[in-house]
Amino acid sequence: MARVKLSGAEIVVEELKNEGVEVAFGIPGGVLLDLYDVLYEEKEIRHILMRHEQCAAHAADGYARVSGETGVCIATSGPGATNLVTGLANASMDSSPVVALTGQVPTAAIGSNAFQEASTFTITMPITKHNFLVKRTADLPKVIHNAFYIANTGRKGVVLIDLPKDVLADVTEVNLHPKETFAGYKPNIKPNQVQTKRAAEVLANADRPLILAGGGVIIAGAAEELRYLAEFLGAPVVTTLMGKGAIPEGHPFCLGMAGMHGHIYANRAINECDAMLAVGTRFSDRTTGWQLDQFAPDATLIHVDIDAAEINKNIQVDIPIVGDVKLALSDMIKWLEKNKKTEGSSKSVWVQRIREMHSACEECIKDVRREGSSKSDRLIKTISGILDDDAIVTTEVGQCQMFAAHYYMTKKPRTFISSGGLGTMGFGFPAAIGAKVAAPDKKVVDIAGDGSFLMTCQDLATCVENDIPVVVCIFHNRYLGMVRQWQELFFDKKYSHTGLGMTPDFVMLAEAFGCYGERVEKPEELKDALNNAFESGKPAVIDMIVGTEDKILPMIPPGGGLTGMIGTEKCKHV
Amino acid sequence: MQTRIISLLVEDNPGVLTRMSGMFTMRGINITSLTVSPCEQEGLSRMTVALYGSESELEKVRKQLSNLIEVVKVVDLEERATIIRDLCLMKVHVKDSKSRSEVMQLAESYGAEIADATLDSVILELTEEPEKIDRFVELMKHFGVKQLFRTGITAIGRD
Ligand SMILES: Cc1ncc(C[n+]2csc(CCOP(=O)(O)OP(=O)(O)O)c2C)c(N)n1
Ligand SMILES: [Mg+2]
Repeated sequence: MARVKLSGAEIVVEELKNEGVEVAFGIPGGVLLDLYDVLYEEKEIRHILMRHEQCAAHAADGYARVSGETGVCIATSGPGATNLVTGLANASMDSSPVVALTGQVPTAAIGSNAFQEASTFTITMPITKHNFLVKRTADLPKVIHNAFYIANTGRKGVVLIDLPKDVLADVTEVNLHPKETFAGYKPNIKPNQVQTKRAAEVLANADRPLILAGGGVIIAGAAEELRYLAEFLGAPVVTTLMGKGAIPEGHPFCLGMAGMHGHIYANRAINECDAMLAVGTRFSDRTTGWQLDQFAPDATLIHVDIDAAEINKNIQVDIPIVGDVKLALSDMIKWLEKNKKTEGSSKSVWVQRIREMHSACEECIKDVRREGSSKSDRLIKTISGILDDDAIVTTEVGQCQMFAAHYYMTKKPRTFISSGGLGTMGFGFPAAIGAKVAAPDKKVVDIAGDGSFLMTCQDLATCVENDIPVVVCIFHNRYLGMVRQWQELFFDKKYSHTGLGMTPDFVMLAEAFGCYGERVEKPEELKDALNNAFESGKPAVIDMIVGTEDKILPMIPPGGGLTGMIGTEKCKHV
Repeated sequence: MQTRIISLLVEDNPGVLTRMSGMFTMRGINITSLTVSPCEQEGLSRMTVALYGSESELEKVRKQLSNLIEVVKVVDLEERATIIRDLCLMKVHVKDSKSRSEVMQLAESYGAEIADATLDSVILELTEEPEKIDRFVELMKHFGVKQLFRTGITAIGRD
């Protein structure tokens, strides 16, 4: 590439285009005027003006989760950058590839408490995979390329680039589009063949094999391999929250989500298996529970993950495999096929046991579920019934999220988008914006709580202004419901500061923004309301009135283990 | 629990020290000593970190360190096959000529140099294994240590 003379801002935009960036979510500010001046003329990059930087980060995150491409967000120095923090931490925790560009005060003013100065570089260090503070315009091409390379290789993550005002304004001669150069970063992706063979052998010889699939399966694009391996082995599959969509829910081998709010039979299967293939998961406490002696006590544990630091971090495993999940599963499949190592005769007993447990438990806990939920479960089932397999569901955090995780039937990877690691209220709606921008032809629904939605609802304005018709379905229970549930169960029903009191009229709120709004009092009305919302072509809010004291059950109490779920006491089949 | 020495080759970028120490803080690891210096390769620095923790904690730290983009190499130094040095500068009180000569004698037997002397104090300099310096410091406390400076350890593997 020949040398060209450009301003820092022009270099940034040229390099973004070279990285294939088509969309950026952001809010300008004083130190970003040079950058936004270039964006004004720019045709290839669609900039979406958000109404809060947290939403810009969540939208970039949602965009990345749906498309697999790196999401981009932009914020100004000081408050713009600090507003991004929650969104970046959220994306980091769930290994979502995001590049954040922040403005910074001029290099000469750094450290002087200049107007709108915050040390974005140090603030974001612990919540990013890597970050850069650019001191010279000439460094921009290399930094930007390296940032995108880091974000979307290895264990994916967030990279922030802090851009001082003068670095963006200065004009210099540079060579654009350099190759990545790292002294030490070599994302190891090839799994060790000896280990994959050992793992395949263990699984083939096991009587009660089980697969625990996490978000890594989806990120690696390995859902097809996973399904094939499960069928080949005759191994049931349980997923984490992040793993929803790694195998179609409803598939005969899929037991759905395990863990704290998972399905009782999924947890039981973990407890009873004699070999476990844990793939693309980090054994979060929400999945394992806290009594680790109830977590696969009899199993030979195989752990596949792209990040070596996850091996033996939370759970000690027998066969660690570091590398790309898709490659590791393919290697196992190849070995199994070649050695024809599974007739599954002994496994059929296990599969039979799982099937029986599955249907029997559904019966046993029916009452507990009904008692807990006035309508919440039926609302999710209705949404699940109406939406096609390609539709995308995002969630807020709380009971609404767990009802969705429990009852929404996810059929495809990248169609269930939820804040797993950080558990960020206010994530679902802006993530839905990013999702809809990434996949404009798909229906996008945010399953929201009334508390969560109020944290980021101002971005309805963004939806209206940019014609982004997402549908928000609010579980209107007038409570910070999940916390209330814990207070009910573990703190003598003292509902300390969880009542939301006079919640707003969400239909009027929607209309005030120019959105479509409709209220649903009975689950039967939801189908029409959803169809009305989609037909309106507008961003929409459906206000679903639910019982104030709905509970999501069964659940593992804090400190409990997989076999001690509250609400399963009467279940005779486990 | 044990002390372990990890030698790191890192890119010599601004902020790399913050990143390292931030990582230790984040993971709840106690560093007993940390030194940074230039090394034989331009653009890279060497860090020598002494950590106190259990084997499994240290294993986790090694992996997290390797994950940092600017870390080029992580070497876990085996104590037996490692030469470890710490440098100590210490101002010791000498109240009379008797204690002065005692201090001088002890310093000589430990291989410490006299870096400076005044009427009522001497400044001693000793480069040694940290445990030996510990013992020397303990001895000198008997006379009165006015000021003590140690650089923290640096270490090199024999092979
Ligand atoms: C930003 C943020 N603040 C606080 C919490 C703690 N928290 C977890 S769930 C929850 C209640 C969520 O309420 P709502 O959105 O109404 O959902 P519901 O549980 O009622 O369905 C709270 C406060 C959180 N997860 N995120
Ligand atoms: Mg609520």
